[in-house]
Amino acid sequence: MPYPPPSRALTGPRRRTLFASAAGAALLVGCSGGSGESRESSAGSPSLAERVRARAARDSVGLVERYDAAIAAHPAAAERLRTLRAEVVRHAEAFGGTIGKSGATTSTSPSPSASPSPLSSPSPSPSPSSPATEKDALVELATAERALADRRTAALADVPGELARLLASVAAAGAVHAYLLTEGAR
Amino acid sequence: MSGKADGKASEQRELKALQEALAAEHAAVYGYGVVGGRIREGRRTEARSAYDAHRARRDALTREIRDLGGTPVAAAAAYALPFPVPDSAAAVRLAARLEDRVAGVYADVVRATAGERRRSAAEALREAAVRAVRWSGESVAFPGLAERAATGSASATPTA
Repeated sequence: MPYPPPSRALTGPRRRTLFASAAGAALLVGCSGGSGESRESSAGSPSLAERVRARAARDSVGLVERYDAAIAAHPAAAERLRTLRAEVVRHAEAFGGTIGKSGATTSTSPSPSASPSPLSSPSPSPSPSSPATEKDALVELATAERALADRRTAALADVPGELARLLASVAAAGAVHAYLLTEGAR
Repeated sequence: MSGKADGKASEQRELKALQEALAAEHAAVYGYGVVGGRIREGRRTEARSAYDAHRARRDALTREIRDLGGTPVAAAAAYALPFPVPDSAAAVRLAARLEDRVAGVYADVVRATAGERRRSAAEALREAAVRAVRWSGESVAFPGLAERAATGSASATPTA
């Protein structure tokens, strides 16, 4: 980055220098952003990329919660679902999201209905509830995975190259999950 | 650094990524020829439709490269297989390997391109990933991203 270190802005003359170079830098950024096509990572809007990345992290965390609900409601399917869940956890982390340990999930925006359900509770209801039958639960997860993969495929058009590559890969993984879940529901 | 030179550089990266994708599709078309000859009856239709899909992608890439003013890379006369393919089980493993390789090059095309080419590459990556799991039965967390794979497979592909 062409910016001088901020500590230089303490005295008068240096301060002017900072202003001058900051204005020059802004001008340069404006030029290259306007003339080039937006396929360079430097030309994409950082705030848009950041928003897409944060959204992707939240979406993956939300998906982990759905897996948790399905695993809790359908222990017979748990082993298979845990493999897919583990991959979704890796997706969330790749986008900068955080997943709490042992099933507890934390998203950047706290979910209003997240309340810990004690083990003694007769019908534990995690925030996203899972359909009553295992088959329906798998179909619902498949639908969620596919919808998210579609949304990510659409979102990758507007972001810098490396993030687009990651989004495309994770969207592909989502399509794979949807396929495996649909197969499992048969 | 002028915008023009920058545009030129990104066009070169784009062309290079598309050429690598084309080379991988040539290899996949060759590889599925081998797969088709060894795979058991019950999965032959699936192999055939994968073969057709790769031929279609190969032709689309050839057009895109010409549109960019490039000369599409030619297929090799023969490719070294990553392992012997004497039977149906090995043919299924080869098919999975071919799809993994193709997924990797399309991930790189996504990075190097924009707009419609990027969208199309993302679609191709997605299709390759689903075909890969149909063959292997095992999903991976990051299809096409070798640097995030748990196990490396550097010498996994048919080479010219």
